[in-house]
Amino acid sequence: MRILTLATTALLTLAADAAYAHAFLDHAEPRVGSTAPAAPKEVVLSFTQNLEPAFSSVEVSDANGARVDLGKPKISASTMRVGVKPLPPGTYRVRWQVLSVDTHTTEGNFTFQVGQ
Amino acid sequence: MSRHLLPTLALAGFAAVFATDAFAHCFVGARFFPATLAVDDPCVADEMSLPTVAWSQTADVPPASMLNLEFDFSKRITENFGVTVSQDWTQIRQPNGSVMQGFGNFETTFQYQILKDRSHELAILSGVIVDWGRTGSTGSGFATDYSLVTPTLYVGKGFGDLPSSFSWFRAFAVTGQVGYQIPTNSFDFTQNVFVPQQLVYGASLQYSMPYLKSEIVDLGLPDFINHLIPIVELSLSTPVANNFGNPYTTTGTVNPGFIYIGGTYQIGLEAMIPVNRASGTGVGVLGQLHLYLDDMFPSTIGQPLFGGTTAPRKLTF
Repeated sequence: MRILTLATTALLTLAADAAYAHAFLDHAEPRVGSTAPAAPKEVVLSFTQNLEPAFSSVEVSDANGARVDLGKPKISASTMRVGVKPLPPGTYRVRWQVLSVDTHTTEGNFTFQVGQ
Repeated sequence: MSRHLLPTLALAGFAAVFATDAFAHCFVGARFFPATLAVDDPCVADEMSLPTVAWSQTADVPPASMLNLEFDFSKRITENFGVTVSQDWTQIRQPNGSVMQGFGNFETTFQYQILKDRSHELAILSGVIVDWGRTGSTGSGFATDYSLVTPTLYVGKGFGDLPSSFSWFRAFAVTGQVGYQIPTNSFDFTQNVFVPQQLVYGASLQYSMPYLKSEIVDLGLPDFINHLIPIVELSLSTPVANNFGNPYTTTGTVNPGFIYIGGTYQIGLEAMIPVNRASGTGVGVLGQLHLYLDDMFPSTIGQPLFGGTTAPRKLTF
């Protein structure tokens, strides 16, 4: 039992040194599934790991599938932000795919609404 | 050479050397299937369970208490083919205080990833589980003289592809496995009984709070809650052939519990409720510390041994 405990401790210590893992979406602005009272000027995604900019991207589209983002996102550490066109009231979908610095790819999508 | 070209080439080289395509542990699109405790998840992966601990009471009258420790190590050989080695140890303590203990047979599982459909959050995995006879404590009855071979099919399906109107329901996922266990001997001369062929099957129903937060609605819940996957697992076996003189009774447990998802590990805790009297007495406990080796060591043992160096995919919405 002591050997198991020691082995586990050693592995977790090594893991802490590596301190990597997949990049999960930690939070977004506008918040996932929320209704923004006013049209946002940008969409900001914050992840649990730092991102590799060349292989990370995001797009925002309206209910008809038309792109409403302003193109290439700005990526700094674990945050990705992209500007959006003036958004009339409606539902918008954010689709993202990122490569964390430890080379794992993750992806996801969510919607938010701009208030009626 | 353009001054932008060099860093680009360097980055491409970095990606080519180190990147897996990858959803190394069980990511399928936006869905993450955790390593379940009683049944297997539907992906090959680089991971380790250290240990899985189960405590329960046997079906005997009066019941004996049983403690089981299991160690599993899974390694991808290629991107889609992996091998798991497992070893368990069991201790049975009788009501009169006498104790029996020993190792089960050494087990290997060979698995091949048939499908990962990102848009439908669907994963299908095939495998063959082999319990190697005479590799455990045969004298104390915890291992057998014969081997067991179990071809098995595993499936996982997330419901994130349902229409948005299904809202919170989309955070549900199910996994299942079904195998046909074939013993290499039809008769156990030690215990003087026929050795049945068995259907070994199970399933899990899981609700992903991480998925709810990142894909459906961020409710602003405490961080601990957002790392949880409440789960119910079902693990069963039914003798189906060569069971002369014995009842064809299904045995198994229903396991409600939860899994906490950390960055490089997960912790699972479940109750084990016998499905009938033949499956045990009272409620047992099952716990597991599970390590994601692909996250802990992404450039070494977290990589497939062969062919794991494909460049990352560009965005393909």
